[in-house]
Amino acid sequence: MDRDRMTPVQRFAAYGRGDAIDRLPCVPIVGNTAARVVGAKVSDFRGNGRLIAAAQVAAYQRFGYDVIRIFTDLYTQAEAMGARVHYPGDETAYLAAPAIESVEQIATLEPANPHKDGNLPAHLEAMSRAIAAVGNEVVVTGALTGPFTTASFLIGTETLVRLMLKNPAAVHQLCEIALESALAYAEAILDTGCTPSLTDAMCSTTVISPKQFREFGQPYLTRLIEFIHSHNRSVTLHICGKTHAIWEQMCETGADCLSIDNAADLAEAKAMVGDRVRLMGNVSPSEIMLQGTPDQVRAAVRECVRKAHDNPKGLIVASGCSLPVETPFANIDAMLNAVREIGWPIHVGEEEMETAWRA
Amino acid sequence: MPQNESELFQALSNAVVEMDEDRARELSIEAVDRGIDAYTAIERGLVDGMGRAGDLFESEEYFIPELLLCSDAMYAGLDILRPHLKVEDANQRRFKVVIGVVEGDTHDIGKNLVRIMLEASGFDVIDLGRDIPAQRFVDTAVSENADVIALSTLMTTTMDAMAEVVEKLQTSNLRERFKVILGGGPISPSFAKRIHADGYANSAPNAVKLVKQLAGVPA
Repeated sequence: MDRDRMTPVQRFAAYGRGDAIDRLPCVPIVGNTAARVVGAKVSDFRGNGRLIAAAQVAAYQRFGYDVIRIFTDLYTQAEAMGARVHYPGDETAYLAAPAIESVEQIATLEPANPHKDGNLPAHLEAMSRAIAAVGNEVVVTGALTGPFTTASFLIGTETLVRLMLKNPAAVHQLCEIALESALAYAEAILDTGCTPSLTDAMCSTTVISPKQFREFGQPYLTRLIEFIHSHNRSVTLHICGKTHAIWEQMCETGADCLSIDNAADLAEAKAMVGDRVRLMGNVSPSEIMLQGTPDQVRAAVRECVRKAHDNPKGLIVASGCSLPVETPFANIDAMLNAVREIGWPIHVGEEEMETAWRA
Repeated sequence: MPQNESELFQALSNAVVEMDEDRARELSIEAVDRGIDAYTAIERGLVDGMGRAGDLFESEEYFIPELLLCSDAMYAGLDILRPHLKVEDANQRRFKVVIGVVEGDTHDIGKNLVRIMLEASGFDVIDLGRDIPAQRFVDTAVSENADVIALSTLMTTTMDAMAEVVEKLQTSNLRERFKVILGGGPISPSFAKRIHADGYANSAPNAVKLVKQLAGVPA
């Protein structure tokens, strides 16, 4: 398959203006899979901005997708505020213990200093290096975890969700501190020339109710997005799992693009909020990208495009969430190639309704 | 205070649905004081309430936070009523499930919900916790003489640890002795089939249905 005629930066600019492009933007959300591209171990990324940048740039150059996202895991901000993160040798890190155990300890928390605490400086270095290397041709974003999700890592998810009902003031206190950290980190990300890319996993209605999102998630996201907008950057917001019942609220946060998990439906999202936000999604990272065949990836991409290519605010073909580390390169290539094959103007005939991959 | 037994059971059930831990405790003490059969109070009060909470969860009126607080109320009542169970009720052999989050993952809310709903449905549950090596599932299932091993993970990176449990059972010639069931965000029926597990459920209420099926209990 021929590589592309436009660079990602040119493609997004033209797409935004409504001009002709060579193909739809496409973002297999490559996180730690980048380690596989440069033959590194995932744990080598810890504290190593140079390596994160080298791997992410190499992965972009290998696959030719449209957004580089500097990301290793969702815990970086919580870790910088005292949460303990475990780093297995060659797999994605996970939370070993929250920063605090009780409401009384909230007062001991301090907002993170992005230039000093935890792995934040390494991530900022990675962002600067990636921008310097390829920032003129491709969008480089820095992963930023939403305040509610960071709050859940600070005190533990089960404790936090119980507190929502028993002691809402304590939850707000935690979200405020998490927001303060996020604002400082967002500013540092913007200073590197990157755009923050927001993930607020715990706001999913798989976990909390739409009403709880309105009280504990949405206000903090809104303030964070207002800040990023004040720097003239557009914002992509990703919430994992089920989100159908909060799409309206996700739009109210001011987000410019909603990244939709494969647990939600692009056609429904288009009908409900497509006139206000760009949509990004939503090939299953596990079932299709990790475990499927290139043919299944192609079919899944075509289904996404068929559902939402006419979204008024546009579509970015993407995976529904970050890709598993061991996602086969052939499947990532297949995603890009499927989008190249569809090309522009978009042509996916109804007659080829390919749903076989669901079986 | 409720007048008769039925009212008391209804009030206990309501306390669970309404997430009122203190009320569940108070009513359980009342049941004990009145000499009401503990097993019946648990079944028609606490367990009934948790079942209703599960229904509200399925219909998306309740979410994880509400379900957790309902379970807090249920357990508060159980702590009081269980010591008063008749010996034959306390010692009856029940279908036993060993549950845990596989090694490399510490996301355990989903697993906890499944444990809660299984316990509320009368199953014996051994909860190993999170980040559990494959061998421990096998060893515990053997030593506890369990019927089912239930594995959970939220991360794609740890899915393979589920296959490892099945493989260990196979190499130890124990595969036929236990049913293995899976749950968690990245898991699908096709994955369960591929690693030769016996079942998959996409939610806590469905996990209960699955275990009931395996136990041969009418749903």
